[in-house]
Amino acid sequence: MDDLNVVGHPVTRVDVDEKVTGTATYGYDLVLPDMLHGKVLFSTRAHARIVSIDLEKARRHPGVVAAISGADAPWTHGESIKDKPFLAQGKVRYIGEPVAAVAAVDEDTAQEALKLIAVEYEDLPAYFTPEDACQPGATAIHEEFEDYRKAPFIVGAPMPNVCEHFKLRTGDTAEGFRQSDMVLEEKYYVPIIQHAAMEPHSAHAQVDPESGRVTIWVANDAPFRALTEVSEALGLPQEQIRLINPLQGGGFGSKGGLKLEPIAMGLAFQTNGRPVRVKFNREETFISTLVRHEATVHIKSGVKKDGTLTARHMTLYWGGGAYAEKSPTVCIRGSLPSPGPYRIPHVHVDGYAVYTNKPVAGAFRGYGIPQGAWATEQHMDELARRLAMDPLEFRLKNVFVDGDMAYWGEQLHSVGLTETLTKAAEAIDWGKPKPAGVGRGLACISKPTRSPTTSKAGVLVDADNRVTVLAGTVEIGQGSNTILSQVAAEELRVPIEQVQVAPLDTDAIPFDASTTSSRSTYHMGNAVRGAAIHAREQLLEMAGHALEGKQEELVAAGGRVHLKDNEDMALTYGELIRRRLGADAVLRGDASYTYEIGKDLDLETGHSDHASAFYMYATQAAEASVDEETGRVRLHRVSAAHDVGKAINPLNCVAQIEGGVAQGIGSALHENLVIDENGKVRNPSFLDYHLVTSLDVPEIIPIVVECAEPEGPYGAKGLGEPGLAPTPAAIGNAVADAIKSRIRDLPLTPERVFRALEERDRK
Amino acid sequence: MSQPIEFTLNGRATSVDAPAHRLLLDLLRDEIGVTGTKEGCGTGDCGACTVYLNGKPVNSCLVLTGELAGADVVTIEGLKEGDAYHPIQAAFIEDGGAQCGYCTPGMLMMAKSFLEENPDPTDDEIRFALSGNLCRCTGYVKIVEAVQDAAAELRRRAAEGRNNG
Ligand code: FES
Ligand code: FES
Repeated sequence: MDDLNVVGHPVTRVDVDEKVTGTATYGYDLVLPDMLHGKVLFSTRAHARIVSIDLEKARRHPGVVAAISGADAPWTHGESIKDKPFLAQGKVRYIGEPVAAVAAVDEDTAQEALKLIAVEYEDLPAYFTPEDACQPGATAIHEEFEDYRKAPFIVGAPMPNVCEHFKLRTGDTAEGFRQSDMVLEEKYYVPIIQHAAMEPHSAHAQVDPESGRVTIWVANDAPFRALTEVSEALGLPQEQIRLINPLQGGGFGSKGGLKLEPIAMGLAFQTNGRPVRVKFNREETFISTLVRHEATVHIKSGVKKDGTLTARHMTLYWGGGAYAEKSPTVCIRGSLPSPGPYRIPHVHVDGYAVYTNKPVAGAFRGYGIPQGAWATEQHMDELARRLAMDPLEFRLKNVFVDGDMAYWGEQLHSVGLTETLTKAAEAIDWGKPKPAGVGRGLACISKPTRSPTTSKAGVLVDADNRVTVLAGTVEIGQGSNTILSQVAAEELRVPIEQVQVAPLDTDAIPFDASTTSSRSTYHMGNAVRGAAIHAREQLLEMAGHALEGKQEELVAAGGRVHLKDNEDMALTYGELIRRRLGADAVLRGDASYTYEIGKDLDLETGHSDHASAFYMYATQAAEASVDEETGRVRLHRVSAAHDVGKAINPLNCVAQIEGGVAQGIGSALHENLVIDENGKVRNPSFLDYHLVTSLDVPEIIPIVVECAEPEGPYGAKGLGEPGLAPTPAAIGNAVADAIKSRIRDLPLTPERVFRALEERDRK
Repeated sequence: MSQPIEFTLNGRATSVDAPAHRLLLDLLRDEIGVTGTKEGCGTGDCGACTVYLNGKPVNSCLVLTGELAGADVVTIEGLKEGDAYHPIQAAFIEDGGAQCGYCTPGMLMMAKSFLEENPDPTDDEIRFALSGNLCRCTGYVKIVEAVQDAAAELRRRAAEGRNNG
């Protein structure tokens, strides 16, 4: 496909001008005429019954237009389990849960009014680890669990507080262990971290007093899913709801579903048509929005002396926090490939998503893959060490290759894993001599994407030769507007400068499932490509009439249609449209893309012959040493080889990889949302949380591997999510190699490293 | 209590009524409606709100309106040189220094000021200078690259200025 003009080229971001000049309007920037300011009162108890809430004083406070509690907004929502109230109903389940809200003429007034709200609580037993919460006899965090509306894939377990039980059953692990020469069993832990997108959360809402129509302005990464959730919660038809998506200052999974939208809506129902803005500051964002699942992972593996894996048994406890949110699907899609991208004949996995009295865990870049990878990929090195085998060689012996039947029952194709392994390793001089005290490690992953899903797109061409893409993909910084513009430019044979992406408004833009799961380049890329081809075909047909040529004698190029053997016989798209459709006319191409899944996931065995539209493969390798005095990890370099299928924009691929690795480094070395024994977040600021700074990032070596996916546009798969998934395990393995001691809990703090050194020296 | 404050914003005389305790960041964003300056934390920990105050970079979330009388404030909206990008903007565009772009205005203001003090920096010096400006998207690689490229362009211009002068 070397004749591509725009796709495959390092095109400059199409949205960058507004970002470097300060003219871009993000959700947090939005000021609406006559807008009121909403503020939220948060729960101060981890698990308690609400005995009473008194809003009277707040309501009477001058400047307050509305003050509400759960009783005034009696709705619940949730993607797969409808368990989450707009504001706490009857009880609170974590410190930071929104309990009441006020809308006032300005923020200061709203803030003052919050102080006038009196809430009386009666404490209940609270649970702060998933293992504790699912012990026999634990108090139910959701007494009403049985009665909630749930998606069909929700599987219960005879344990308290489990909101999803994922099971994978392949072969017979007992037999697999019998066949092995060595069995190793270990436990690993990944703590809670937060997305910490630089733009904090906000939502604006307005209810038209006459029509009752609800409009929400929010930087949500899945506006159509939010539309469905709002419509189901309020019992309103979808036509009565409109979502307008301003620009998003990063999300990484935190800005999907409904976060501040319910609060803004709850208030807007009481303000007689005035819009309400609810903004969380950084501390509020830390304590009350979303976090990544903490996970405890138990692994038992059987392996033969020659390095052949025979069996793997895994149990994963996913700490879901107070509400289900995305826990069931993180549990399914994170647990399913958690044994790693390896040929293993006997596999047994139990994943439990468990309610706890902590902030709600949701989607986070990587969707459950990083937690499993931290455990499995360190475990692989522990096995390799005992086998006295090189970790790269050990992996190469077992990794998936084209044609393998994965342990979940799917035959794999387009597997670029081996290439990522060898290239990432080579980039850090794997196998070459290294100074004493320097360690090298690597880790690899495979990641499915949410399937089946649909993307629809429209492509408009107007009489001025402008091309406009209508796509529900949200530009969250990942570069989707650039990728989709490239695709439209390619198929319509126009310079990319002529292409624009329309603002995202559910009233004007066709349906898209979500901007998650690295699904957009593939799904929306296919849809935009289809819509652009549809537009091109219409143009060619019109040109056939105008130029009196047969279809096969016409060529579309450079924004014109001409005759194959006479380039002077040409009309621009604009001229064609003007002539055939009229001066103000717009030509529209449309397309829809759905990946048709094979068999649905079998709930008893976890098997599916097509669990994912495509798989992303990656290997990262790290070189590190440790300051033995302080225990501080010094990273020398990290290489990251990602199989993207086809790089639509190589520049953007590199940018995604670098950003992902940096996030991975943060989660490896310092990020940890510390929650104390009472359930309170102890480090809700950038200063205390320690986000990765420019000083924390070593040399990153991005490597783009292209193992084409036949169904993908131009062969593309996806890339965004895996960026941070193997990083902690690669670093963990490098550190273990450097200090000859293993740390199984993240993050690799100086204290933990220091203790690992002490333990090593005691032996 | 509101009081009239007069200062210069991006070269234009500006007068607003605002309480003295209002933060410069909120004054810009909510009262004047100039929203290019971003709020990431409001507590001086992220640099997203960096503006020039009397020729020096400051976190505008730590500056009170009461301190502004007669001051000269330059925000991201005042960075362009007429119709042309400032070299630091041009370099961020060229090198891919912005992803979601939310940290970008603060990053650009900080980088500009840094290059005024250190026109020929090493990568490490750039990393150190920008360590108070957080970015969750880029991993800083392209940002450091862009600052280097802008430095080279600014040096080239300075040399040209000398030769012509
Ligand atoms: S908003 Fe001022 S430093 Fe973060
Ligand atoms: S580009 Fe998103 S925070 Fe820097």
